[in-house]
Amino acid sequence: MPKKRLNELEIGDKGKVIDLLSRGSLRQRFMDMGIVRGAEIEMVRRAPLGDPVEFLLKGYNLTLRQGEAASVLLEVE
Amino acid sequence: MITAAIIGNPNVGKTELFNRLTGMKQHVGNWPGVTVEKKIGSYSYKGEDIEVVDLPGTYSLTTLAADELISRDYIVEEKPDVVVDIVDATSLERNLYLTLLLLELEANLVMALNRWDLATRRGILIETEKLSELLGVPIVPTIAPTGEGIESLKELISMAAKAKNEKRKIVVGYGEKVELSIAKVKDAFCKDATLSNKYPPRWLAIKALEEDEQVLKLIEKSSHRAEIMAAVR
Repeated sequence: MPKKRLNELEIGDKGKVIDLLSRGSLRQRFMDMGIVRGAEIEMVRRAPLGDPVEFLLKGYNLTLRQGEAASVLLEVE
Repeated sequence: MITAAIIGNPNVGKTELFNRLTGMKQHVGNWPGVTVEKKIGSYSYKGEDIEVVDLPGTYSLTTLAADELISRDYIVEEKPDVVVDIVDATSLERNLYLTLLLLELEANLVMALNRWDLATRRGILIETEKLSELLGVPIVPTIAPTGEGIESLKELISMAAKAKNEKRKIVVGYGEKVELSIAKVKDAFCKDATLSNKYPPRWLAIKALEEDEQVLKLIEKSSHRAEIMAAVR
């Protein structure tokens, strides 16, 4: 299955988390928010200037900066 | 007097429930982190006074953010009689993460499944009895705007305060390998009586293995520093 970074998803694209490339507090925060291996994430929309980006996961909406989203590695269909 | 601390994810209706419980008139804002200061109110239930502390809304209990640290410190250091975990019934999976962290802290938990009406409207049905049994925590559905469930919540808080010293079951297991390490570190912590009386030893062990800054500081001050660190490594 092709791999993508979370920031590379277009509206409606879905993926499954396979790895977190960040370390330290950002990684901890990601995991706190439910971005863990196997979690499914859908890209919902993008702010007018491209940043931040809103995602849907575990039944709630989460907004991330592009840079932060880039450190989440996904498997897409 | 009973002390009850209110905790929950941001925007689950925590402050609104706080106001419902205490009758305090306060503005409920929608800015994240609206309750970084400590708010205290009180109410009377069946002739008993209950002091309620509104803790900052957090998703987690790490030491990385000031508001999370406030909540964690309060629960660990002040040891309120009861901790009321306000859970958003429409977003159970995310909310239960904090619940599990609180259980690990061995807080005397009571859960309010708030926004029950919204969840029902969205077709979300939660088997509260089953959930209560799995977590070992009393649960009541609440609807903050109408005040539904508040009386039952008050009753649960008073009941929980009386059952404060009952042993709770361990909900989260980390698998054989990690549990072995936890047991080893826990044993080392238990040799330091002051530390293990003040904090739950299992929690200390898990946090030490996670290299939690605050717990590492506690170890540094411990009389059994060397033994604990040897177990952690």
